[in-house]
Amino acid sequence: MVLLAKVGIGIGATLCLTAGWVFHEGVIRVDVDEAKPDGAHVHFWVPATTVSAGMRLTPRHYLRQAAEQSRPFLPVLREVAKELRKYPDAELLDVRDSQNHVTMVVRDGRLYLDAVTDADNVHISFPTETLRDVADGLEEASPGI
Amino acid sequence: MKPSFRRLVLAAAVSLAVNTFAPVPGLAQTQTASKSDQWIHVRVESKDDGGETVRVNVPVDMAVKVLPAIKHQPLHDGKVRIENSHMDDVDLRTILEAVRSSKDGEYVTVEGHDDDVRVAKSGGYLYIHVTEKNKAEKAAKEPEGKEGHAKPARSKESKVEVKVPMKVVDALLSAGKDELDIVAALHALSSNGDTELVTVKDDENTVRIWVDSKNVSD
Repeated sequence: MVLLAKVGIGIGATLCLTAGWVFHEGVIRVDVDEAKPDGAHVHFWVPATTVSAGMRLTPRHYLRQAAEQSRPFLPVLREVAKELRKYPDAELLDVRDSQNHVTMVVRDGRLYLDAVTDADNVHISFPTETLRDVADGLEEASPGI
Repeated sequence: MKPSFRRLVLAAAVSLAVNTFAPVPGLAQTQTASKSDQWIHVRVESKDDGGETVRVNVPVDMAVKVLPAIKHQPLHDGKVRIENSHMDDVDLRTILEAVRSSKDGEYVTVEGHDDDVRVAKSGGYLYIHVTEKNKAEKAAKEPEGKEGHAKPARSKESKVEVKVPMKVVDALLSAGKDELDIVAALHALSSNGDTELVTVKDDENTVRIWVDSKNVSD
């Protein structure tokens, strides 16, 4: 009985540690709702760790190809990712007219991109660290770009 | 109470007092950093039927770091190349050089057929006021649109008011001929404090660009 309890505690602790590690970078949240009848509704949450882990697991040549394609934007992405960490709370962009409203906000270290239009509503949020992970991953895959 | 325990309590009390009243280096640094953080705000308000509003807030430090990374003509290495042809009949650089070397209150006035330009210097600031005249007349002369309707002649006049600290102007002109050093200007701007930089007003739009230490626009 005591042995079973010890095994249970061990499994529980391992699960807690694993969950803690998986979610330690936060989550990427995507919500897309099309306003038309029978429109698509996409809602999912993904641990941000999957991005950094995924970049390590992706075959090198795919990453190199992605780095070459994003070459003009990579230095900008890298700098923006680095700088955004310094501004955990900021309202960067707000564009609105009578039918559309687009915002880009950093709150508690997360970047929120929201677009509410007549056609659809899109809400995307992710930790600003994720941007840096992507920039670092692409840079590692193709140094010198 | 044992003497050793008493010493421990005394040491704990002294330690608590020191930690409470001593300045925390990290916190002090954060407060200084946030005090010196300057933000550039851009607000565009359109008065047409859609009533479009655009608000952009960018930390000056972020712009300083990101701009050199953008390599897209006419912007490269944080500098903007000015083609003379884009300036029409106004040589902006020559005007700025003239104003820089002149005393306060002296100004340059350019009265053109289409625009009036006034440049003045006062209290360490450069003022540029541009009034575009005959806008309605110009709009009426423009070719007809796809729908076959001429553009309505709404505006009679548009006004552009620019107020720039002279040290920002100096930094802007430090790049050399036909180039404006935006990054150097941003560095100078961030040390200047709250400044109203640009106001553009006409019948259709209002544009305002200013710098302050708030991370949201008004």
